[in-house]
Amino acid sequence: MANIQHIAVIGGGTMGQGIAELIASKGFETTVIEQSDELAKSAYQHIEMSLDKKLAKWGITPAEKKLTLSRIKVTSDFSALKDADLVIESVYEDLNTKIEVFKRCDELCRPDVIIASNTSTLSLTEIAASTNRTDKVIGLHFVHPVPKIPLVEVVRGLKTSQTTVETVLKLLSDLDIKGIEVYESPGFVTTRLIILLINEALYTLMEGVATAEDIDRAMKIGYQFQAGPLEMADHFGLDSVLAAMERLYREFGDTKYRPAPLLKKMVRAGHLGVKTGEGFYRYNEDGERVDRKEEQSL
Amino acid sequence: MMKILVINCGSSSIKYQLFDMTDESVLASGLVEKIGTESAIIKHEPAGREKKVIISEILDHRVGLKKVLDLLMDEKEGVIKSADEVSAVGHRVVHGGETFARSVVVDSEVRRAIRETFDLAPLHNPPNLIGIDAAQANLPHAVHVAVFDTAFHQTMPDYAYMYPLPRILYHKYKVRRYGFHGTSHKYVSQRAAEFLGKPLEELKIISCHIGNGASITAVQGGKSVDTSMGMTPLEGLMMGTRCGDIDPAIVPFVIAKEELTLSEVNSMMNKHSGLLGVSGISSDMREVMEAMFDGNANARLAIDMYVYKIKKTIGAYVAAMDGVDAIIFTAGVGENAAQIREKVCEGLTFFGVDLDRDKNGMRSKEIQRISTEKSKVEVLVIPTNEELMIARETLALV
Repeated sequence: MANIQHIAVIGGGTMGQGIAELIASKGFETTVIEQSDELAKSAYQHIEMSLDKKLAKWGITPAEKKLTLSRIKVTSDFSALKDADLVIESVYEDLNTKIEVFKRCDELCRPDVIIASNTSTLSLTEIAASTNRTDKVIGLHFVHPVPKIPLVEVVRGLKTSQTTVETVLKLLSDLDIKGIEVYESPGFVTTRLIILLINEALYTLMEGVATAEDIDRAMKIGYQFQAGPLEMADHFGLDSVLAAMERLYREFGDTKYRPAPLLKKMVRAGHLGVKTGEGFYRYNEDGERVDRKEEQSL
Repeated sequence: MMKILVINCGSSSIKYQLFDMTDESVLASGLVEKIGTESAIIKHEPAGREKKVIISEILDHRVGLKKVLDLLMDEKEGVIKSADEVSAVGHRVVHGGETFARSVVVDSEVRRAIRETFDLAPLHNPPNLIGIDAAQANLPHAVHVAVFDTAFHQTMPDYAYMYPLPRILYHKYKVRRYGFHGTSHKYVSQRAAEFLGKPLEELKIISCHIGNGASITAVQGGKSVDTSMGMTPLEGLMMGTRCGDIDPAIVPFVIAKEELTLSEVNSMMNKHSGLLGVSGISSDMREVMEAMFDGNANARLAIDMYVYKIKKTIGAYVAAMDGVDAIIFTAGVGENAAQIREKVCEGLTFFGVDLDRDKNGMRSKEIQRISTEKSKVEVLVIPTNEELMIARETLALV
């Protein structure tokens, strides 16, 4: 089995940052590849911010923060792929974009290197078909926020080999992550269920059944959710929620996946959640809620 | 000539010492770090010769140990001619659970039992077992002995090791006090008996192992009857970065208020508390003391709390044994911080501790009595030597 020491993460968005932070914190050399130097730099800054938050919550020590950061390199130069022992793609959830990235990886990576996609709704078999190593393409669907959620859906494409699956499961166990094997199907388990819940929460809000705050509170207190569905949507990004919803709708052709009109409206208005400072709630630059009223307590 | 290699494996490191047991001299010692990378570091120190630092690719413990053996057998600078000269290997294993009350020769049954303790010491025991595997692969003809940090404390009576929790937790998960630093407590109490010229069986000793991690053990007749660390090394004294005893209800309270995860609250108590957490300066006693002398109030508080907790624990163990003949200070802080020893002893005059301030202020690498002639309790500073103790335990089983 291949000895994996150096992992490249393509795409330094929210998920890419989380994946990079996680694997670097577990001792792997990590390279984040972005489209431009500015985006690469910004990804690095966000990872540093995330580590600072952990430090403030006593989750890590200053030495551990330094060590994790020392293992992360960011670049816009795809030739960094030639040193990678494994690649995790985490670019925008769009088939053509992903296929372009996979073609490039296939050209630049050593032939023995596994290329994993963090797709949540696209067909892995279709992505794999764009490469000359269909047996070494696999899905690794991480859950947001990555450094806090020890779960990954491991998705086999039609031609993914057993060795590839085993190598990846071994890696996940080194990362202290539980790998759940799933069949290729839009949204797998996590996205399919949570996106539907968020969409239904949006209808509930739209119909005036309850306020956003109360919908979230009901689910948090009633079903022990760590975050309510609308708060979750703000964190995922409303545009990402809409994209996932539309894809599920298209793939299954079932009206139960129809995006709530309010979701479309908010995306059009640019209220995308934490990243734009406003979604169902308001946030500051550090992504912290700024509209939270003092909750009544004893 | 009996040569014994002592090994202490971490997840990415190997510490080693080679002893010639005819006179207990150290032939070589060293450390391999960053195992699993292309730039692992070997720091090798043959006795009386220059230290060597080598950087090379070492992907696992087996290769690491092979390189160590190659260094030990080096034609020019080696200390042995062939690997067969190493007749036994002593392995430090942190947690022996309830299975191991003494050191044992490793066989498949012992390996299985060590594996069963992984839950109790998830950070330490897995690499310890990896080290045993690596050593057995490299030295198949040597006798391999496991020496457990917890073994010495298996003599504690049930009322000392049980926690007042629902008993089912003990039956299901073996939730109980195990204690740590056993090899050190055992070594220094034996040394104390030798030094005092009295049989260990007749002595009541309180052994204070005060380093970055710290524990105190009540040793009665050579047996551990109580110790301050518990199921994990977090309980008991205030330490460099560990909180030691706190009201357990603080944990769920802080989790709720600060919205912490379990790993965050664990890290808070293990890495952000103790001297570091209270002083806000450092986990290193020397730095905190310096700040205290400069008038830093938080440093003063941290040290007062630190000393007070040691003093209370000694008092408790005097009660537990109905008396004490000797108090031992050992490990980093215990061996070097005279002011801490002085502050601890200041409050122990009631049962007859009389400290000799001049002797306490003198530095020595040898065992030293720091109490006066008229002191009813002997107070000793004894440099610990866990590696030698492991080598002796190993020798006894070969």
